[in-house]
Order: sequence, then C-alpha cells, then structure tokens
Amino acid sequence: MSHFRTTVLRGFEFKKKDTIIHRLDPRAKAVYVFVMSAITLLFTTPIPIIMTFLSSLIVVVFAKVVKEWSSTMKGIIILSLFIFVVNYLVAPTDKLNYAVSMTMRLIALTSIFSIFFLTTSPEDFSLALLKLGVPYEYTLIFTMALRFIPTLAKDLQMIIDAQRSRGLELEKGNIIQRIKRFLPILVPLVIYEIKRSFMVAEALEARAFGAVESRTYFYEIRMKLIDWALSTSLIISLVLILYLYFMNILPEWLFWKVPG
Amino acid sequence: MLAIEVKGLYFYYVKGEYVLEDINFEIEEGESVVIMGSNGAGKTTLIKHFNGLLKPIKGHVKVLGKDTKECTVAELSKLVGIVFQNPGHQLFAETVEKEVRFALENFGFSENEIRRRVSEILKYFALEKYKNLSPFNLSEGEKKRLAIASVLVYEPDIVVLDEPTIGQDAIQRKKIAEVLRGLIRDGKTVIAVTHDVEFAVELFQRAIILSRGRLIADGDVKDVLTDQEILKAANLLPSQITECAWLLRDLGFPNCIVSIQELEEHIIKALRG
Amino acid sequence: MKERLISIENVTFYYTGSRTPALKDVSLSVYRGDFLLVTGPSGCGKSTLCRLLNGLIPHFFSGELRGKVQVLDYDVKSTPTHVLARHVGMVFQNPENQLFLSSVEKEIVFGLENLGLPKKEIKRRLEEVIDLLELNDIRDKPPYELSGGQQQKVAIAAVVAMGPEIMVLDEPTAHLDPLSSKEVLSLVFKLNKELGVTVILVEHRLDMTINRVSKILVMNKGEIILIGEPRDVLNNKHLEELGVNTPKVVKVYNELKEKGIVLSQIPLTPEELASQVKLRRARLIHDVSNRS
Repeated sequence: MSHFRTTVLRGFEFKKKDTIIHRLDPRAKAVYVFVMSAITLLFTTPIPIIMTFLSSLIVVVFAKVVKEWSSTMKGIIILSLFIFVVNYLVAPTDKLNYAVSMTMRLIALTSIFSIFFLTTSPEDFSLALLKLGVPYEYTLIFTMALRFIPTLAKDLQMIIDAQRSRGLELEKGNIIQRIKRFLPILVPLVIYEIKRSFMVAEALEARAFGAVESRTYFYEIRMKLIDWALSTSLIISLVLILYLYFMNILPEWLFWKVPG
Repeated sequence: MLAIEVKGLYFYYVKGEYVLEDINFEIEEGESVVIMGSNGAGKTTLIKHFNGLLKPIKGHVKVLGKDTKECTVAELSKLVGIVFQNPGHQLFAETVEKEVRFALENFGFSENEIRRRVSEILKYFALEKYKNLSPFNLSEGEKKRLAIASVLVYEPDIVVLDEPTIGQDAIQRKKIAEVLRGLIRDGKTVIAVTHDVEFAVELFQRAIILSRGRLIADGDVKDVLTDQEILKAANLLPSQITECAWLLRDLGFPNCIVSIQELEEHIIKALRG
Repeated sequence: MKERLISIENVTFYYTGSRTPALKDVSLSVYRGDFLLVTGPSGCGKSTLCRLLNGLIPHFFSGELRGKVQVLDYDVKSTPTHVLARHVGMVFQNPENQLFLSSVEKEIVFGLENLGLPKKEIKRRLEEVIDLLELNDIRDKPPYELSGGQQQKVAIAAVVAMGPEIMVLDEPTAHLDPLSSKEVLSLVFKLNKELGVTVILVEHRLDMTINRVSKILVMNKGEIILIGEPRDVLNNKHLEELGVNTPKVVKVYNELKEKGIVLSQIPLTPEELASQVKLRRARLIHDVSNRS
C-alpha cells in the first residue's frame, strides 16, 4: 500500500532514452506489436508463445528498459496465477496445456505491449494516430491521459494516506466490507480528478486550443529506411508463419502440449 | 515519556535513492515543533513515519513508547492525528457530520461519544450550520477547517499538520493559528510542517530543519531561523523582521530577532536614545 | 497619455445557479505597462475578475454578465476565448494542471501550434522564450521531473511565447515554497519591465510584490474596496479585517506610529524600514550634537 508508482504502472510510463528501439517510428513498433501479438494468439501450445516472449526480452535489453519492464512483469504475477487457475478449470481438454498456454499468452502480450509504451512517447504515438487519420482532439485526449497517469497515481496515494490516517483499514473484513471501504478512496479521487479536468480545460482554452481550423504540427514523424525494413520483414515473417501454419508444414515440436 | 523518538532513520521509496538519511531527534510531550525545509527535503516523508504510513528502512521511530514497526497505521493514527495539506484528498462523505464521524467510527467510539464529540467540534470550528450539507459545498477555508476538525474530533495526543497555511488568506491563517494555540494550551504535542517562516516564528518554539533528506538543524526557532547558512541550505527565506534586524547590525541590533515586538523595542531604543 | 488596454465598466456577474454575485458593480481601467496587484480574502472575486479578461467568463463559465468588458479592441462578451487568448495570457495556480505534454519544449510549442503559426515562426519564438526564461537546461524534461517553481516558469514560458500584450496570473505562487516564489515573481517583473507586458497578478504574498507594482487592488465580496498606489493602499486601517496579508514591516510602521514614532513613509521592504531607521537615528545624533 505504501507506494503504488513503483509497481505495475511503471512499465507503461514512457521514459526518454536514446536507443535504436526508442528511435523507431511508432508505426514500425506498432507493426511489431501486431505481428508478435498475432503469433501469440495463433498458437495454443506453449513453445511458440514462450519463443515470442523470449524474443521480446531481447528487445527489452536493447531498449535499456529492463528495470521498468521488470516492475510490470512482477506486477502481473498475481493476475497470471488467476488466469492459470481459471483456464485450468474451464479448459475442455488438455487442461494443463491450456492453462499454461493462456498464462504464457498473457505474459507475452504484457511484455510486448509494455515495450511499445516504454519506448514510444505519447506524442509520437498520437502523431502516428494522426497520420492514420484519427482527429487531433482524440489523439490529444490520449496523450493527456497518459501524461496524467503518474499524477493520478500520486493523488490516489495521498488519498489512501489521508484516509488511513483517520483509521480506515483497507485490509480488514470480507470481500463486501472491503469494497465498501473503498468508497472513501474513490469518492475524493473521482471528484478531485473531475475538478482537475475543469482546470485543465481552462488552461487549454487559455492556450487558444481550437483557435484555427488547420493547426500547425511542429513535430513530425517520418518512416526511415530502418522503419520500412523492420515493418516489411515482420509482415513477411507473419505471412510466412501463417502460410506454414495453415499448410501444416510447421515442425511437430512447436505443437507440443503440456501433458495433464 | 517522549512523544516521538526518531533514531538513525533512513528511508527510500526507490532502492538506493535515500529520501531520509540518518535522522535523529526527540520530541517531548507538550512540545510545539515546526519541521521546515524546501519542497522535496523529505518533510512529508518524515511525518508519514509518525503514524506508520511509512516504516523505516533503517533505524526506528517510537511514538509514545511504541515502535512503529510493530503497530498498524490505525493503532498509531489514534495517537497521532495527521492533517494533510489538501482537503480535496480526504473529503468524501455525504454530509459534514458524516465526514467528522468517520474517524470516530473507524476507531470504535460509542454512538453517544460520537454524537457528543461531533457536536462539540462543529461548534468549535463554527461549522454547525453546515452539519447536514455536503462538504463539497463549503468554501476552501471552511473545507480546511473541516479537514482539521475531522482529525481533532478524536483528540489525538499528538497533532501533525502538513503545510497548514498554504494558499490561505490572512483571515484563514489567523483562524488556523488560533486553533494551534488552543492545542498547545491544552498540552497537546503539536508538530507543523511548513516552509512559511513568518508562520513558524509566530507560533513555535523549536524548529527542525531538513535539507535534501538530512537534518541540518534542530533548536530554538530564534537561533535556527536567524542563521543565514541554515536558511540558505534549506532554501528558506528569513522573516522580514530578521532581515531588518540584520540590516541594522551597525546600530547594535542583535542577530536573532524574530518577533515584531522585539524589533520595535530595539527601534524605539535606537530612536529615543 | 498611456494607452488603455482594459476597460471594465459596471460589471456584475452571477455564476449560474448562484444568488450572490461574484462581482458586484466593478469598474476598472488598466493601461499599457501597468503592473496591477490584486489581493483580498478567499472568495472575494479575484479569480472571477481574472477570468473576465480572457473570456473564460462568460464563455467557459456560464452565468449572467452585466456591464461592459473591453480588452484591446474586443468586446469580451462577444469574442471567443481563443481569440482573446492571443492577447491575454493566463497562468493559473496549480502548475500540474497547465502542463499537458511530455516535455518543456513541446509545452511551449503547443500554444503556437494552436494558433496555426508557420513552423519557422514557432521555432523562432521557442528559442527566444527558452533564452529569455533560461530554460535551456530543462527543455527536454517532462513536467513531473520538474520542481513546482520550474513548472510555473514553463507555464509562463508557454504563455509568453504566444506574445500576449497582457498577462494575467492567478495566484501563481500558491503551491510554491518561498524561494521558488521569489524566482517566479522576479520573472514576472522582468516581463513587465523588459518586455513591456501589462501584468495583472493575483497574490497573497504582498511582502514579495508590493515594492515592484504600480497599483494595488483590494477586493472583498465581489467589490473593489481599495485601489491605488502601494503606499496609499497600505495606509488604510482596515486592511487587517479585510484579510489582506499586511507585510510585517508595514505592521511595524503602524505600531511605531501609534507609539509616536512616525517614519517618513511606509516601508515596503525590510531594506526600506532599516534605511529609514538609520536615517532617523543619524538625524537624532546630528540634532543632539548640534545642541551640545
């Protein structure tokens, strides 16, 4: 309870660093996420999914974001266990295999998406969205939402501290009681953030937001050779894998199931 | 018994990046102490140790003889009431009355006790007329009083206020000063965190100064807040009274004047020869 | 004859749903180059007054607005905020809520992008502002890595870059420690003195401001109670009751006056008080030695 920020959220906060990965165009990174996710979702056996996960580790190292990435991965351990148990129970056949595969899927997807958000600034991301045709207002909403995540986490912590200081015990009681106890946390948080949104809106107005039809975009993102090369090779790889998969040409050991 | 004992306290949020280093001090019951330093010096982090919200990484903190590592936050909060800076971070109830009841209900007071105390404290803070109104309808100054009331209602022995004068106008400051004086008169141990030197010299005897996580001074307000080096290291500005006294050094004015009366006395002496 | 930039005539304003007016028959003129300090107890209408100047009232905050508000050539009632924003820059209390993007540079550029300025112009203004406010060391830093004082400087920079003739600052130092407050205020004074920006500053910290402003405005309950030069306003006996944070040196002056010692003028800073005491003492010694 004592410090929220150093956990799950850290793995999704962009930190400016100068690595090859950071310098890639967000669209190329999006292709990476898409391709890797597709592979992860295509297979229902653990080996290919684990391979995808391991390859993402290489990217994490190159991007020098090991610390932040580990924070998130540690944070989803509990969720992973939950997914494991649920999937084990619902699986029609090959229970253990199913559970392991689904859990690995979660872990792999978290890793892949985490890489994206750790190495892509919210502005670059929204510039990419802009180039894809999303209206500016929406991309700004997205950018600002990300920018305010750490602020929100700080507020949440302060509220928890203030209420615990008046004797609120969040750890006690059964499920129903615990949920009720979150009201003194949620109410101030929601009201505080709504008030904040008004102040932010005022400040936006004061900076002439919406003044002209065609706004200038000072910063640009351009696909460089490396971005095209990466995107193309990833897509070709995906097409190849799909072809081999549906043609049943892939090696047997990729489809090894966990016994039990 | 000591109200608060801090020995060899070290703390970090992120491993290796110490926010508090080797903090040592003792506060007796009934003392009034102000903890000062610039933003980021570690003041708020320090007071969070007083009710166990944070536990020391090295060293210990004892509150009325109890080691904070061995108590829950709820247990310690009963003894140490902390009023944080921003009422917006705590007000949540449907009515002012329910807001004030909150702590009492959490601490298990009887219904009769609760009613008695709530009624008294609302009177004391002139908030009675708002009893059944939403706390969100109050003015900023009233919200601050409500936040303080909701902590004082359970009469903790030690009262800690985090930046009580931030953003407050002169009238609100006066009211808060009155509340603090009342608490000091009643023998409570009162601790305030602030960077407002004018406020500190008006109400407190002792000042503990933090700078970048270290304790750089601990002593009488008159000595500590008139020491140029300490003020500089802590990013604090001297009171206007002190500054004026320094400028009149040549006329024999002493260096450690903090109160208006003292300065006036010396000026009158100088001008009536 | 100085040019009048702001003209507020008999303005009364009710926020929607409120029965008490936030502003009651307020009239005010502000001239080019002025540095107006606005103060008064919480709820006196200072913030409402500020928001009148860039059209947030009545366009963002709805309500009933009576009277006339003219800023430069614009009638505020019928001019949208984004037009007024080019001429009236506004800096708010909480730095956190004014910085939306992930670097100082991007923040400064944001307003200029909104105005649709050409890239070259944006670049020029960006560098000019970074130079003027000495922000080069932090230009790539995100807002949450900055101290409160730095954040406010960035907020000011982002507004200054838009080139407004008038800057309105609503309690910009409320959340800052004294040293940062001093730095931010120095910056604002610099903008007024060196760039000729007309400033309206709402502040409680009179001790840091009164010696550098041209006029003080004291408000209470939606009305303007006092307006005038600092020493004239500070002379008023009712300031304490009005909730004005009278600087301590002024209190000393007042109490000495009651005891029969009248200094030549109200000191606005400890330096002024000290020098007046020295002067008076020197005169005393001179008189005494003359007599003997």
